[in-house]
Amino acid sequence: MRLLAVIDRDLKKFRRNPVVIAMSILMPILYLVILGNSFQGKLQGLPLAVVRDDTGQSSRRVMENLRAIAAGPQTFSIISLKDQQEAIAGVKAGIYKAAIIIPADFSRKVAMQAVPEIGLFLDNTDGISAESIRGAVNGAIRAIKTEYVPIREKADEVRLRDINLYAKVDYFQSLVPGVVIMAIFLGALTTGAFNLVMDRFLGVDESYMLTPLSKMDIVGGLIISGLLVTTCIATLIFIVSILITGIPFTNWLKQGVSVLVVIVLTTLGLLSMMFVLMGRLSHPRIVGILSGFLNVILFFPSGAVYPIASFPHWLQLFAKVNPEAYAVHALKTILFKGTGISSISHDLAFLACFTIVMMTTAVLSFKRTVR
Amino acid sequence: MTQKNIAVEVTGITRKFGEFTAVDNISFQVSEGQIFGFLGTNGAGKTTLIRMLTTLLRPTSGQARVAGFDVTADPDQVRRSIGVVPQSLTSDLDLTGYENMDIYGRFYNISARERRERIPHLLELVGLSAWADHMVASYSGGMRRRLELARVLVHRPRILFLDEPTIGLDPQSRRVVWDFIRTLRQGDAMTLFLTTHYMDEAEALCERVAIIDSGKLIAIGSPDELKARIPGSDIVTLKVPQLTNDTVEQIGKIPFVHSVTMEENTLRAYVDNGAENLPLLIETIKADGLRVVSATLHEQSLEDVFIHFTGKSIREETKKVNFLIGAGIPQKWGR
Repeated sequence: MRLLAVIDRDLKKFRRNPVVIAMSILMPILYLVILGNSFQGKLQGLPLAVVRDDTGQSSRRVMENLRAIAAGPQTFSIISLKDQQEAIAGVKAGIYKAAIIIPADFSRKVAMQAVPEIGLFLDNTDGISAESIRGAVNGAIRAIKTEYVPIREKADEVRLRDINLYAKVDYFQSLVPGVVIMAIFLGALTTGAFNLVMDRFLGVDESYMLTPLSKMDIVGGLIISGLLVTTCIATLIFIVSILITGIPFTNWLKQGVSVLVVIVLTTLGLLSMMFVLMGRLSHPRIVGILSGFLNVILFFPSGAVYPIASFPHWLQLFAKVNPEAYAVHALKTILFKGTGISSISHDLAFLACFTIVMMTTAVLSFKRTVR
Repeated sequence: MTQKNIAVEVTGITRKFGEFTAVDNISFQVSEGQIFGFLGTNGAGKTTLIRMLTTLLRPTSGQARVAGFDVTADPDQVRRSIGVVPQSLTSDLDLTGYENMDIYGRFYNISARERRERIPHLLELVGLSAWADHMVASYSGGMRRRLELARVLVHRPRILFLDEPTIGLDPQSRRVVWDFIRTLRQGDAMTLFLTTHYMDEAEALCERVAIIDSGKLIAIGSPDELKARIPGSDIVTLKVPQLTNDTVEQIGKIPFVHSVTMEENTLRAYVDNGAENLPLLIETIKADGLRVVSATLHEQSLEDVFIHFTGKSIREETKKVNFLIGAGIPQKWGR
């Protein structure tokens, strides 16, 4: 069967490139490590200059609270200065992220209830750090009027008790679906249509374009070999990610089969899409440029890193046609809610439709002729 | 010639790339079992033509039938009937020589048993038996070419297309390829269609030759027929510094001179009885106050036929094109 010959040829060539195999496995795992560490919420050790011109009791309490934050959550580290100008110039020069000036009449105004003020000079060019410091400092000065800790809660106060429906998901664990999707994306990019581009680039494609292989043999064969390779890599990465992050798997069979179905469908969809986009290319450099662009427009709006609900309206609309968004949603549902295929039927339906449309377009748009 | 024994029939075929016409209204026929050569400089349109005949390019207009099938209407049947060795090396570097042939055989649905029997025999024929299990990445250019010649025979094609089969090969590999092509001709009555810009290759191998220049078919016939079309049995080539048109014109009027061409300082005269008449030619030039630096006399070859029909030397034209490629100037339709 001609189709099997195309698959066999492609798999043989893949097996003989150990560097490609190693990179296909290592890169998504590195992604998990780097992405997990670079997006992890809390900022720590931001340099904060403090000029205390007041020696009163209230300013001492402010300082105690600031030091408590510096020692506890470590949002900032305190550098005590004498001169206000020096502190402000330091912020402008980028030495400090912010400067606090406690004026000489601060404690007196607190005692007189005469609108006491503390100056906070922020380097607002770094918005995230500035917000973090503002929040921490606000917390420190809000507490200075509290004289004692109540020992008995008020009986008539409404209390909110939050109950988690599912097991707690930490940040690293939440990235696992994204890492699996990343592995699928890289696999779909570097197998399938890419092998055709490389054959064209090396001038090898004529050896099979001139044979009786049909369009379906060529496109189908390359997609199937890409599917086999990518599914193996993505499954391996999935297992490694589960072991690294410790996501509890309550039902290996049910969840495992569901994950495999999502991986296979997503891989088929992306491989077919790559064929539509790259089926006529003849230089791997164009694939390189295209891959960076595709990764950004598919991966980040997929909900793998940040929830889709937080996106602006237009980006949410894009997410509705982004196959990776459905794949991420399906994997999150299976992994974190412990459910099976029935709860992701909507995602699977979209992925199946996407695959059919893309594969049909790939076969129809593929040309055996040269330009 | 009946319809039955025509292997390739081309009628008014044209291929344009935008405004550029690579192949311009060409018609010819190739009989079954013949070795047919398409002769032309780089960029003359040979590869474009062969790509149209092998279904890789659609003609802009005109028709071509290969093995009795229309290349546009029935490309799949054409592909089943032919074997093609393209100009560029197309064997997979990451597969062994044997694997390359085996996969290729599978593309044609050749049974496993037949592949097992036929491939070692073909590898032996091209002297690659010892290299069968080596990766093609370790082969030299000549070895790859030989492998590809063997590979294309796995499915026993009726018509074999060879696009510049010896380009870039050392003289020894070239000789092996020539012998191989001759062997094929003796065997299965296979039709061979080859393109080349080597005159000696065309002369040594081809029973019929077509000359193509700037996309147009200039002449067609057996090498002897083509030579016979050039008046004058001998060719005198004289190097004359400061050669003038007047002198060339004057020589052209001499009765034993059939035709004369001038290329820079070189005068080429097609003459009767060259050995006797050479001194007379030199005297005529000297009488014009010019000096003859060198003189050569030889019998006509295909190179002379090419110069006669196209007005240019194939070697010089090839050099010019190679220079352009070397200078990074794209030779867009040159293959």
